[in-house]
Amino acid sequence: MKAFLIDMSTCVGCHDCQIGCKDEHCGQAWMPYAEAQPETGQFWIELKQFERGAVPHVRVAYQPTMCNHCEEAPCLKAAKDGAVSRRDDGLVIIDPIKSKGQRKIMDACPYKVIYWNDELDIPQKCTGCAHLLDGDHPINVPRCVDNCHLNVITFGEEADLDLAGTEVLHPEFGTKPRVFYRGLPKKFIAATVFDPDTKEVVIGAKVTAQGEAGTFATTTDGWGDFWLRDLPDADWTVTIEADGKKKTIKVSTKEEDKGLGDVALV
Amino acid sequence: MSDVKTTFQSIACGGTGGDLTAMDSTDGKITRIRPINYLDTYTKEELEPSIWKIKVGNEVFTPGYKSAPNYFALAYKNRVYSKNRVQHPLKRVDWEPGGDPAKINAANRGKSKFVRISWDEALDIMESEIRRIVEKYGPYSVLTIGEDGHRESKNLHAGGGMHSTLMSKLGGYTREVRTPDSVEGWYWGAKHFWGSGCNKGLGMPAPPQTGYNPWHVLRDISENSELIAFAAGDWELTQNYASQMWSRLLLFWEKVGKEFVIIDPFCNYTAVCHDTMKWIPILPNTDSALDFAVMYVWITEGLYDKDYVDSHSVGFDKVKAYVLGEDEEGIAKTPAWASERCGIPEWTIKAYARKRANMVTASVHFSSGAIKGPYSHEPGRTHAYLLGMQGLGKPGVQQAFMNASLIGKETIARSTSSPFSSINQCRMFYPSEQKIPRTLIAEALKKGQVDWWGSPAIVYVETSEQFQVNSYPTTPETYKAALGTISPEMARAQNKSLEELQAALDHKLNNMPEFNKIHMLWSEKPCNMNCWDGGFNYQDAICTDEVEFFVTNHQWLENDSLFCDLVLPVTTCVEDNDSMGGSMVVSLRHDSLTPPGCNRVGESKSDFEIACELGERFGLRDQIDMGMTDDEWIQFGFSQSRLGEEITWEEYQKRGFYFPKQDPNQEDLPPGMRGFYDDPKNWPLDTPSGKLEFWSDALAENFPDDLERQPMAKWVVGGSKKEGWSHDETLWGDRCKDYPLLLVANPAKWRIHVQGDDIKWFREIETCKVRGADGYLYEPIWINPADAKVRNIKPGDIVKLYNDRGTILVGARISERVIPGAVVVHKGSRVDPIAPHLDRGGAANLISPNNQVSKHCKGFAVSGYLVEAAKVGKPEMDKWKKEYPEAFARDYDPDIGINYSSWVIE
Repeated sequence: MKAFLIDMSTCVGCHDCQIGCKDEHCGQAWMPYAEAQPETGQFWIELKQFERGAVPHVRVAYQPTMCNHCEEAPCLKAAKDGAVSRRDDGLVIIDPIKSKGQRKIMDACPYKVIYWNDELDIPQKCTGCAHLLDGDHPINVPRCVDNCHLNVITFGEEADLDLAGTEVLHPEFGTKPRVFYRGLPKKFIAATVFDPDTKEVVIGAKVTAQGEAGTFATTTDGWGDFWLRDLPDADWTVTIEADGKKKTIKVSTKEEDKGLGDVALV
Repeated sequence: MSDVKTTFQSIACGGTGGDLTAMDSTDGKITRIRPINYLDTYTKEELEPSIWKIKVGNEVFTPGYKSAPNYFALAYKNRVYSKNRVQHPLKRVDWEPGGDPAKINAANRGKSKFVRISWDEALDIMESEIRRIVEKYGPYSVLTIGEDGHRESKNLHAGGGMHSTLMSKLGGYTREVRTPDSVEGWYWGAKHFWGSGCNKGLGMPAPPQTGYNPWHVLRDISENSELIAFAAGDWELTQNYASQMWSRLLLFWEKVGKEFVIIDPFCNYTAVCHDTMKWIPILPNTDSALDFAVMYVWITEGLYDKDYVDSHSVGFDKVKAYVLGEDEEGIAKTPAWASERCGIPEWTIKAYARKRANMVTASVHFSSGAIKGPYSHEPGRTHAYLLGMQGLGKPGVQQAFMNASLIGKETIARSTSSPFSSINQCRMFYPSEQKIPRTLIAEALKKGQVDWWGSPAIVYVETSEQFQVNSYPTTPETYKAALGTISPEMARAQNKSLEELQAALDHKLNNMPEFNKIHMLWSEKPCNMNCWDGGFNYQDAICTDEVEFFVTNHQWLENDSLFCDLVLPVTTCVEDNDSMGGSMVVSLRHDSLTPPGCNRVGESKSDFEIACELGERFGLRDQIDMGMTDDEWIQFGFSQSRLGEEITWEEYQKRGFYFPKQDPNQEDLPPGMRGFYDDPKNWPLDTPSGKLEFWSDALAENFPDDLERQPMAKWVVGGSKKEGWSHDETLWGDRCKDYPLLLVANPAKWRIHVQGDDIKWFREIETCKVRGADGYLYEPIWINPADAKVRNIKPGDIVKLYNDRGTILVGARISERVIPGAVVVHKGSRVDPIAPHLDRGGAANLISPNNQVSKHCKGFAVSGYLVEAAKVGKPEMDKWKKEYPEAFARDYDPDIGINYSSWVIE
């Protein structure tokens, strides 16, 4: 059984994966695997981006997002006449002919990665570039994988992939996705700590976030910065301590990451 | 799939090639463009001698066996088959040849549309207009525009100078000199500190002793630097334009424990995606204030290399006195002083200063930020001073930049950037007896006369050239200066006697051609209004009767082409039979055969072919194509190169590309500026003293009264025109009362300069465009939530960005990625004129300053200037629609934007 492994920690947001997918599928059909994708508007793989934090502690998380080729695929269950099938290698394929008019295939997907082609009246999504895997083509891997110059996306036999510690998107949907992620963004709290009397950054301050979700600790670096990373969504009491001074801040990461800017230690 | 044909293509939006792609085509149409695996063509053993390596501890970095083409190359199918491609020769509907003001309708340029004509008619017009203008005014009345690398990667078929080649056979031409774009601050400032620099003139450091080549800079940084400072350098964007291997190098640097700091008003595309990056937001074009405060900390805390400064520099005492406030001005440039100006908290300035001093720090710089702003020579010099104070050339203390990116050195390499074989027939970077800097075209057309200093060409000019006065039209004095003097070296080189040379020179001097004003513009790079400065001012100038005929050669119907009279359709690089190779900022340099990968689009021809066909009309085709076919040219190029030392022509043809072997003796070459660091006597700079000149006597002597560029860098604010200042573009003058925001107009993520704005697969990416309520995809204005709130601007709002030079429309993207007080509109979105000085396309350079860097420095200032932003309500938009119905009636396709059918009457 094949699977995708996506390592977000090395993604730099170049969109090569998204472009490669479009280059392969827009305006050209690969029957019987897929009809042509419309030139714009569908994203069989989409590099989602999430801007996080506040000046000057800002990051963007780039998340390649695609059909999860679920083991318990809701689209497969919703399809009539066998319009959606799972191949022996695990890829879930929508039959471009049998699926005509079957909007329920698209509606069934909790991940919203199936698109509707108005012109052809069919649902469409990632095929894992099955035509390349099977056919006599110059390459035999999915285009998103071939295009990625940083090996963010790998594809292969599940047994050959290092899936230890990986996650899937929305496990609560219960569909058993076959796209595994490393480095899915958690929340952060960050700030620059300074001493208002000396007008200097505070290096080596002890910073602790405490809450019901646990205790996380770090120290400020040479810029006076701390980054408490990989935090769950929760309410926190952040304590900053150095040279006998102590400051406490109430922060919540339930909604968003927190860039606290410059924090005076008094 | 047996009907698939695969070719290698070297695609990059510059003249020096990119990492190779494989282009699969079916029935003459592109199927896919993908990276290539070198091991499909060569074995590992065969490649081994050509692969460079960087070793840091136990970690090794190599380019790998798979190419990493830029994302533009991977999306190039969109460019080739763009709805914006020029399919046929086009003539403006209300223009007639002959120069009659009543029939050229000059004021309608940028307004009236085009009709399709045949190639025969187009060539007839070209021939008759060139003959008419040359006869009436002389050949120097033809201005050839486009001496430029901002184009596709082509070799034989390259544009940007084929018109000059043809005109040189017809008696001459006026050369539009490409001013030193992207390196302004180095060129006008740092050259006076550390000498001419790379390519003998760019202004970024390189030793004269290596032919001005900065070898092994990235290797030295990899091995020895601890902190890498990106001063407005967006590595993930700019460095990657020909290969994305550079993302891999950054990951390698992270792996071996480098630290990074990014000083930029914008949390740029490098800063946002690496947890190792420290972003220090700075107000635009205030970098010299920060740098002076860093110097203050270093001087007061003894954190700089005093011995090096003593032995390797002159004039430091004057800078020291200025920084400490011990000069006549008496203002200490403390962190508190700087903080008020640059918007960085005092404590962060101090932390930055100490980090840079206590860690071995390299500086990385690209074409961004303050280096392109008003008075850019000041930050250019202060950035250079910082390296000078820490021992420029010391292990790890180097400046990295695009031309200093080559890792390794091939035995047959000519420089860090030149190709291994060249059959380029463009007359680029050739001096001409009449010339105009690109920045002064508008003024030359409007006033009929301009003066300036230096050529000022971007490369191959020494620093002292900046002291020479030039003028347009050419005068006997400037003609004489352009011809120069003879020397024994020239006599030896040309194998002639001194007397013969003198006689030839005297003959030229006594027979000065007739230099008239320009009346025909011929552009092979039609994007001056959008790539260069004062775009609206340029539009005004080319819409006058002075310009009797304006022709462009171009692949896409955009920018200057919308304002011309005739458009000649040009092939893209994948349609030509060429041999491009890749020689700059690629992962592994190569020479390659790049045959046509697909059928030609429409009736397009290459710039070379157009020049050949016109040459035919004038009976001099054989002087351009030399009687050779494309294939013969390519083989000729190979035979003229040193490639034959390593591979036979037959083998090269069979493989299709070749990576020259690494020089086994390359370690003998000192990295970057190490020679100067180790041995300044034998590795002197080409400054007058041979040393770093914190104070330049040459500037003091030549421009004693220049307050804008003084002999040493200062914090220069500028002021009113009345008082003689070129600029009032800061938050400390008068104009900021009306225009309180500073605009950052750095290169875009989803364009290279102006190229690629029509790539539909990019346009739907959320950071590329903003969809307005009217369905138009506006160029984003990145604005901080605080600045948006006071202007009642909401995400997706249509916003007018304006100053006293005009108004462009943009779409609001409210973001924490930009410092309050600044807004970001990436340069290069295509123009979409509504009316004079009002544009919907969001081309930032349209409202950039009409004045250049400073009085004696006629480079452009296109970032870090004043604007105001306001939400555009429905009443205002409706008013424009009523006043300019034609502009709003043009066909618009959000996928592509404005396009061929917007401007061509079918």
